[in-house]
Amino acid sequence: MSRKKLCEYYWAPFKSDCEELLGRFQQTESVRYEEFSAIWREMDFSGVFFGTQSDHEKRYFTRLIFTIAYRYILPPYSFQIRVGGLYMIYGLYNTQLIWPKEKIRIALKDWYDVQKLIADAKSCQHLDVVYIFKRLLSSKAFCFTAMPQKLTFEARERVQHNVNEEFRDHKNRVTELASIEMLEEIANMHGHYERLKKSSVPPSSGVTLLNLTYLVQKCAFEYQQWQDKIAVTSEFNNLRLLPLFLQSSSRAVMLAAIKSKSYGHVSKGTKSRRHRQVEMVTSGSGTDHALFSQKRRPPSLRTRTWQNFGKPSEPEQTQEWLLSVMEEDKNALKRKDIRRFKWRNNWL
Amino acid sequence: MAESSTLICEENQHENVPVYEFMDVNSKEFHIGAFRDLWLDVLNPEVYSYSVTAPEIEDVEFMEEMGIEPKTLEELKSICSVDSLRSGHDGTDNVPSDLHLSTLKLRKRRQDYKETLTRYTVDRHEVYANEMEMTSVGKKPDDLRDLIPEGEIILTFNIMYPILFRRFKFVRAYQTLHVLGSQKLSDLRDAICCVSDLQVFGEFSNTPDMVPQFISKDHYKSAFFFFNGTFFNDTRFPECQDISKTTQEWTRTRDFPEFKTAKMEDTSFYDLKMKVGFPYLYTHQGDCEHVVILTDVRFVHQDDCLDIKLYPLITHKHRVVTRKCSVCHLYISRWITTSDALAPTDPCLFCDQCFRMFHYDDKGNKLGDFLAYAYVDPGTFN
Repeated sequence: MSRKKLCEYYWAPFKSDCEELLGRFQQTESVRYEEFSAIWREMDFSGVFFGTQSDHEKRYFTRLIFTIAYRYILPPYSFQIRVGGLYMIYGLYNTQLIWPKEKIRIALKDWYDVQKLIADAKSCQHLDVVYIFKRLLSSKAFCFTAMPQKLTFEARERVQHNVNEEFRDHKNRVTELASIEMLEEIANMHGHYERLKKSSVPPSSGVTLLNLTYLVQKCAFEYQQWQDKIAVTSEFNNLRLLPLFLQSSSRAVMLAAIKSKSYGHVSKGTKSRRHRQVEMVTSGSGTDHALFSQKRRPPSLRTRTWQNFGKPSEPEQTQEWLLSVMEEDKNALKRKDIRRFKWRNNWL
Repeated sequence: MAESSTLICEENQHENVPVYEFMDVNSKEFHIGAFRDLWLDVLNPEVYSYSVTAPEIEDVEFMEEMGIEPKTLEELKSICSVDSLRSGHDGTDNVPSDLHLSTLKLRKRRQDYKETLTRYTVDRHEVYANEMEMTSVGKKPDDLRDLIPEGEIILTFNIMYPILFRRFKFVRAYQTLHVLGSQKLSDLRDAICCVSDLQVFGEFSNTPDMVPQFISKDHYKSAFFFFNGTFFNDTRFPECQDISKTTQEWTRTRDFPEFKTAKMEDTSFYDLKMKVGFPYLYTHQGDCEHVVILTDVRFVHQDDCLDIKLYPLITHKHRVVTRKCSVCHLYISRWITTSDALAPTDPCLFCDQCFRMFHYDDKGNKLGDFLAYAYVDPGTFN
């Protein structure tokens, strides 16, 4: 109907392009911007904007791809994919062809997640991630909104947002339990408890106190080592991932080690996630999603009456003015099917 | 310790952080003023200001934050510059020949299809869809006092034209208005253009020259907005009545929750609790009802129109076909006649000149028997 809805057909192809880009980035197993920009140049990704003639179409397309690319910064994707999404947004923002530049809408509920991502990157000294984010902020690329896209209550195709299972973040539950904050808390509570005991009850020599923090830490570390041993990717790759500028404090080393291991193992995730069914159906499955079929009009009152009360066969659409024409000629006067552009092919 | 305090913060935030009630359809209710405060808490004021901080200051801040040296920063800048993203092709109008991306493949297919067409049809609605918005983008006021303060919220409303069932089968016509959060509901009300405001009453077949003294907008001034169970009435003028009273009395007899009333001119948008994407109601002229949808709530950006005098700003208006005179088909009709023996149809539209020539003789006497009313075309706002 309106070209706005026609632009929506670019949703599925662009999503597959994004997934290809991020998939390649995932395979490099790094979060460096250099690797990302090498893949970008190789795929010539800035070419997605080429080919549209009208300004209006360009603007609508740009808005659409920002909505699609934006989802990759948020959970449940893994750290590497989220960083890749951030780079992708940086790239798309700077290579767009319209002026005034279309902004990246960021909702309040997602801002907290993005801040956490940047904080993680800062603590691991991933300088390029932080720098790129700061560049986006200073070039006023973000538009701070309530919801990620404009909601107009229009009846439109419900696009299914299915999360690529390979990009999903596989939570390492043991490391979460043995995280620094948790260990600190346990240590604090342990100390508090001991102090209370000493002050209230005379020390009894029979009871040996367990150092809980040390035990938890040890267990977590052993588990990590066991995981590493059975992983496919070698330790050599992990060393490559360690950030370039390490702090000398052990805490940062611990955190960095945890973070680097958590995204180094994307290819072989924890088996516990496998039982989760993929809830969504892929979006490109055809026209059954359309809430309003644009090609056919609703049946007229005459046809409906015939269908409900008349003869079982469809009423003949005799055109009175053709009655005087010979039989053979009637075919020639049939309205030719207008060749319409098929947006969706078999492969979409 | 750190975790428990973040939990408490999150609970406070949860109330007013907008989330989806139904995915991609509308959000849950949230208080707009509180939402704005939440954003202001987390944002550095430089981020949403209009001015751009000097690059040197930014560099220094970055180096301090991350604890790195200028040399590293230079290296970082060269790696992450925009040049790393450039593509090899210069021509952006045509799809490049080496197709790797599926988006480009689709576009090439469509381009090839378009070349096979014999006629190049242009959809005028789409070509001019953004025209109104583009005229006001980036406008700065001459007087600096009219500049919108930083950190202001802009709300976007889609106001549908009143439902006339036969005309609006396939298209849902609407106008889009941008309002500032600090403005009152009455400002929004004044900015809505509806053709029923311009209707003129009276039968003028005997006195065609009498210029009507008033239009409905001046005569019937009551209006209300209905948001989330509260009726906001316009009480600025003494003629305004509370037209929501009838509805409220009716609901009291049925099983509805109690509805509240408030004043339109005292409420600013910051005081409201709204759902984004959810249809609400605006009624004026007694029974002219419009569906109002809040589509977007966002911070003002330096690229927006920054002149406070221009708000509420109309960015999109649906074009309605104007009805021309039945005689000449040239001029827009101003008269509508019923039970006219001379006219081909009942009712029939005439422009001013054709009307006078047709129904009155040289001396101004009425010919024939008819009733004539003043007609305001819905396309007057085009």
